[in-house]
Amino acid sequence: MISKISPRWKLAAIFVFALVLPWLPLGSSTNYFLRVINTAILYMILALGLNIVPGFTGLLDLGYVGFYGIGAYTAGLLTIHYNLSFWMILPLAALNGAMWGILLGAPTLRLTGDYFAIVTFGFSELVVLVIRNELWLTRGPMGLPGIAPPVIFGHPLKLEWEFYYLVLLLLMLVMLVASRLEDSRLGRAWFAIREDEIAAQCCGINLIRYKIIAFAISASIGAMGGAFFARWFKFIHPDMFKFWESILILCLIVFGGMGSITGTMLGALILIPLAEILRAVLPQGMFNARYLIYGLILVLMMRWRPAGIIPFDRAQESKAARMRQRLTALGSKE
Amino acid sequence: MAGRHAHLRGLARAIHEISGLSRGLSVENLLDISSLFLQQLVNGITLGGVYALIAVGYTMVYGVIQLINFAHGEIYMLGAFLAYTQVTLLRLPFFVAFLTTLLICAVFGVILDYVAYRPLRTAPRLAALITAIGMSIFLQNLALLLWGSQIKSYPRDILPRLFFKPALTMGEVSLSWLQVFILSITVIFMLILHLIIHKTKVGMAMRAVSQDKVTSALMGIGVNRVISFTFAIGSAMGGMAGILVGLYYNAIFPTMGYIAGVKAFAAAVLGGIGSVPGAMLGGGVLGIAEVLGAGYLSSAYRDGISYAVMILVIIFKPSGLIGQILGEKV
Repeated sequence: MISKISPRWKLAAIFVFALVLPWLPLGSSTNYFLRVINTAILYMILALGLNIVPGFTGLLDLGYVGFYGIGAYTAGLLTIHYNLSFWMILPLAALNGAMWGILLGAPTLRLTGDYFAIVTFGFSELVVLVIRNELWLTRGPMGLPGIAPPVIFGHPLKLEWEFYYLVLLLLMLVMLVASRLEDSRLGRAWFAIREDEIAAQCCGINLIRYKIIAFAISASIGAMGGAFFARWFKFIHPDMFKFWESILILCLIVFGGMGSITGTMLGALILIPLAEILRAVLPQGMFNARYLIYGLILVLMMRWRPAGIIPFDRAQESKAARMRQRLTALGSKE
Repeated sequence: MAGRHAHLRGLARAIHEISGLSRGLSVENLLDISSLFLQQLVNGITLGGVYALIAVGYTMVYGVIQLINFAHGEIYMLGAFLAYTQVTLLRLPFFVAFLTTLLICAVFGVILDYVAYRPLRTAPRLAALITAIGMSIFLQNLALLLWGSQIKSYPRDILPRLFFKPALTMGEVSLSWLQVFILSITVIFMLILHLIIHKTKVGMAMRAVSQDKVTSALMGIGVNRVISFTFAIGSAMGGMAGILVGLYYNAIFPTMGYIAGVKAFAAAVLGGIGSVPGAMLGGGVLGIAEVLGAGYLSSAYRDGISYAVMILVIIFKPSGLIGQILGEKV
C-alpha cells in the first residue's frame, strides 16, 4: 500500500507534517514535546555529519564531539564578545570546524583505520581538556552562560517553536548537502574507499585527499550543530562535549543504518526521544547507566543488523558487501 | 558525569601524594630539586610498569587479530572491582583474591572474544571496532550499576604493614615496598610472558597466527584456540594491573578503565604495536613522561600528556620505538 505512493509524495507529506508539528494540540506539554523534538533534530544534524566519515568513507571517527564542542565554543565566544549575528557565526563555526578537521586529518588519515579511530578519540579528549583548563578563554568548568539567542528580522528567538523552525531549516540544509554529496562523484569515491581501499586506489582515487574532504565536511557539520546548540541552549559547559556524546551519535547512526541518510535520521528520531523516556522512567542515579543500552545496541546491531534496524536504500550495495564478505571468508587471507 | 569528577579528585589526591608538589619548585636548593626529580622518576617507572601490563593485552590481541580491543581497559577495571568484592564482601585473603581475579579475568576475556568478536572475524574491520567500543561502554556502565560511581578503596589491612613502609630511602627519595611489589610483579610476569611466547608450543602458534591465519590453520594450528589463549593471557594481565593500580592509588571507580585503557594503548603504540618488549618500553616511557609532565608542566593536563604523546607518535613514527608497521594486506 504505502510502497505504491511515489517517494516524492511521501517526502511532501513528511514535510507538511513537519511544518504543522508545533501546532498539534498537546496542551500544556507542547513546550516539553517541542524541546525533545528540537533535541532530536539537532542530533539528526549531528548524525548526518558523522555519517559521512564512518557511513560513507568507512572510517571510525571517535572524536566527532570535539568538533561539536569547537563549534559551540566558537559560537558562544563570538556571540558574547563580538555579538555577531547567527548567520555570520554559522559559517564561521563551520569553517573553524573544517580547519581543525583538516589539521587533524591531514597527518592521521594516512594511517590505517584503527589508528585513525584512536587519534580522533585523543583529539576530542584534548579539546575537552583545553576547554576545561584555559580559563582565560573559555571560563573552564564555570561554563559560558548567557549566550544570546539568534535574532531573526529584529526579533530575538525565545519560544521553542521558533527554534523548531530554525533547526528544521538547518536540518533541511544539511540533508540537501548530504544527499547531493551521496550522489556525486565525491560520494562515489567515498563508497569506493569504504568498500575496498586498495581497489579504489587502483582506480585512481587519491585516498588521502578524499578522506580529508570527508573528514572536513563532517567536522564542519558537527561544528554547525554546535553553533546552533550554543545559541539555543544559551549555556555551554565542557562536560557537554565529552567522549560519551560521540558514542551516542555513533550509536544513532549504527542503529538507523550506517551510510544511509534516511536510516541515520530515523536512528536519531527514535533513540533521542527514547533517552527522554528513560530519563523519566529510570531513578535519578540510574540515568547515566542508559549508556549500557547504547553499548549493547552497538554490539547487537553489528552482530545481527549491520545495515541498520530497517535497512534502507542502498540495499543492493549491502548485498554486494555481503557477497564480498562471503568470498573473503571462503578464500583469500585477511 | 559524576564518575569523571570522582576520577579527577582521585587523580588530584594521587598527584598530591606522590609528586610532592606542595614542596614546589621554588626551592632553590639544587639537591632538593634533583631529589624531587628522582622521586618523580621512581613514581613514573612504577606507573609505567602498570601501563605496560595493560598494554601487553592490547598489543597481543592486536598482533593476533588486528583489532583494538577497546574493552580491554574495562577488564582492567573489572579486575580491580572483582578483587575489591572478594576482599571486602567475601573476606578472602588478598593473595587468594589476587589469583582468583586473574583467573576470572582470563575466562572473561575468552568469553568476550567468543561472544563479541569471533562472529565478526570476517566482517569489515569497522564492524569489529564498533563492537569493541560498544562492549567497552556496556561493561563500564554495568560496573556503574553493580558497584556505583563512588570511589572505592581497598581496606588498608589486606596487605602486610610492611608494604606501606619505605623499602629504600636515599635522602628525600623513597621507594615503598608497595612500589617494589608492583615493579617486581610486572617484571616477573613480563618474563613469564616472554618465555611463553618464545619457548612454548602455544607461543609459537601465537606467533604463527599473528603472521598468517590461513596458513597457520593449514599447518594444523587451531587458530581460534590460539586467539582464545591470547585473550586469556592479556585479560589476566589487565586484571592484575587493575588490582595493582587500585592498591597504588587507593582508588577504584567504574571509569578508571577508559582513561587507563587509552593510556595503555598509547604505551602499546609508543613501543610498537604487536611487540611485547615494545609495550614494556612504551609503558615505562609514558609513565615517566606523564609523572614528570604532571610535576613540571601542568598537572591539569596530566591525561592530555598521554594523548599528545600518542597522537605525535602515531603521526610521526607509527611503527613505534620497536616494531614494524605492516602495510594493509590485500
